[in-house]
Amino acid sequence: MQTSARERIGEKIHHAAHVAGQILYGMTIFDWQRGLRQQRGEIERLFVLITFGDIIGLPILPPYYTLRLLPYVVPTLNRWKRSLLRERDLTDLAELIEGVD
Amino acid sequence: MNAILTLIIAAVGLGLGYFVYAKNINKNIVQPDDSKATPAKMYMDGVDFTPAGKNVLFGYQFKSIAALGPIGGPIVAAQWGWLPGLLWLILGTFFIGWVQDYASIIVPMRSEGDTFGALSYKLISPRARGILLVFIYLYLLLIMGAFGQVIGVLFMSKPAVPFGILSVILMGLLAGQMTYKWKQDIILTTVITVVVAFFGIWLGQTAFISNIFAGLNNALGEGGIKYFWPIVTMIICYLGAVLPIWRWAQPTNYVSFWVIALGMVGGVIGMLVWHPSFGDFPAFTGWTVAGLGPLWPILFVTIACGAISGWHSLVSSSGTARQIEKESDALPVGGGAMFMEMALGVISLLTATAATGGWEAFKEAFAGGKFGVFAVGLAAFLSHIGIPTSFGVPYGMVFLTIMGLTIMYLVVRFMRVASAELLGDAIPALKNIHIGAIVALILSLIVIWTGVWQTIWVLFGGANQMMASLALLIITVWLMRNGKQYAWTLWPCIFMFITTIAALLYTAFFTALPAALAGTNIAGNIIAFVVALILIVCALILGYDGLQALKRKGEVAAAAK
Repeated sequence: MQTSARERIGEKIHHAAHVAGQILYGMTIFDWQRGLRQQRGEIERLFVLITFGDIIGLPILPPYYTLRLLPYVVPTLNRWKRSLLRERDLTDLAELIEGVD
Repeated sequence: MNAILTLIIAAVGLGLGYFVYAKNINKNIVQPDDSKATPAKMYMDGVDFTPAGKNVLFGYQFKSIAALGPIGGPIVAAQWGWLPGLLWLILGTFFIGWVQDYASIIVPMRSEGDTFGALSYKLISPRARGILLVFIYLYLLLIMGAFGQVIGVLFMSKPAVPFGILSVILMGLLAGQMTYKWKQDIILTTVITVVVAFFGIWLGQTAFISNIFAGLNNALGEGGIKYFWPIVTMIICYLGAVLPIWRWAQPTNYVSFWVIALGMVGGVIGMLVWHPSFGDFPAFTGWTVAGLGPLWPILFVTIACGAISGWHSLVSSSGTARQIEKESDALPVGGGAMFMEMALGVISLLTATAATGGWEAFKEAFAGGKFGVFAVGLAAFLSHIGIPTSFGVPYGMVFLTIMGLTIMYLVVRFMRVASAELLGDAIPALKNIHIGAIVALILSLIVIWTGVWQTIWVLFGGANQMMASLALLIITVWLMRNGKQYAWTLWPCIFMFITTIAALLYTAFFTALPAALAGTNIAGNIIAFVVALILIVCALILGYDGLQALKRKGEVAAAAK
């Protein structure tokens, strides 16, 4: 009984430390990791555009190698189209200015 | 009054606000459903939409919304005494602040991840988006003016400050190099850069280094200082605005975070150990403060962040809402971060009241440098955990300067992109990143050199609070459209709209215009008058469009019933 109480306290401390670690991560290097992920996402978006741009009306003749890529690209096509064609304005950039007020 | 009692009152306000009012609205009105896919999951593209855990997002949201605003506002508002500021911080957050931040995540999250630009276009009127952009641009320009005056003119000219700033920036550059180019471990990078940055701050206040800058200031003279240090500040902003983000802005912000966070933690511990009383600091000094204006409406724009801030709605909609993993995370992330910011505002108020030790000491510190009160107060708190005041005060100034600088170069970055997007077709030169940044810097310098600080601060708050009104209006229309109870957002919206219009009218016609006509600071006061008029006209158009939108949605809702 005593051990289980100690275990519960230990678990709570472990959980609190985990939450504190995640909050600290969110305040510090989450942005770096997110920035890198965004860069990768943008490059991938561009890659699909130059290989399968005809899907959204950009005239590209689908060569043999492009068609070989098709099975890998199919799962992302809907998200890619939405992401590329989504209307943007300057408020999309607001999140770039952190801690502005 | 006593610091601990103040913290207890704030904690009670926070507890009731979050655990009773906010949870009740979340459960009974918004009714989050974790089985629904959020935009972060539905549209995960690795660029804009990516899910993240609630604890991580809480940290991200808090860091994104908290900076100099919740520190500066309560210090300026302490001129009315400690009670009005404290009440507005607690009640403002309780009834308005968290409502806006939380709903600014919920509405975009249930509208396919649209930002407030797109939502204002769809829900209010096409021109509402244009008005929002005007608010944003003026808001950012006023930030550059308000922060630029404090940092460029007051803090950078203190001989103990520039070397510390240089150290933090150089360590930021090193952190970027170590992480991205040399592929070093982040913990090793953090330890080296933060320790050396602190050593640099300490070295900066030693007689050897500070005498060099004192000599430079003597050579420049009073007039030279006014122009030299703001230009140095703008050069730093220029570099931050045009260099790749990984090279300058991101790692510098990272090192700065540690410099600031360690100071805050130390300050709070020192305050708890010391638990000082307010001395003879009055609860209420009177209805009007010379140079600022009457309690209503000016207090409510003087303390923007810390109680309610429109900028949060933009950050919440364009950043956080697109990363929310589950609908139920919106309250702890949006609401929780806002209540934490209120706590930061209360701590800032305590640096002005309890830490200074009394009314005369506060007035003296405030006259010596506005936000400088915070540096003096922080040093007083830190002295109770063994950090000498001779280091604490310069450290507090470096703390505030770096906090402001890290924002300013991101603002210039945004302004450069904004001018290229909005005017790039008409003036192709603005598409050049250097020209775009220089134009933004020149505009900022004009505001810094000509502006009256307290007027700029009030206008900055006014632009911010107008964005808050717009955000609350969008949220109200959305709630009406979806047949949900909307009084909890409509009344805050009406209050913020009327109060902000009144504050802008007062600033334009009772502060800026009479001062300009009397021949005091003519250029700065005329600029302030024009900015206030633009904001008022935009607000009135917005009010009209908002009323039409509410009527339309009301009719649709009635027809549906």
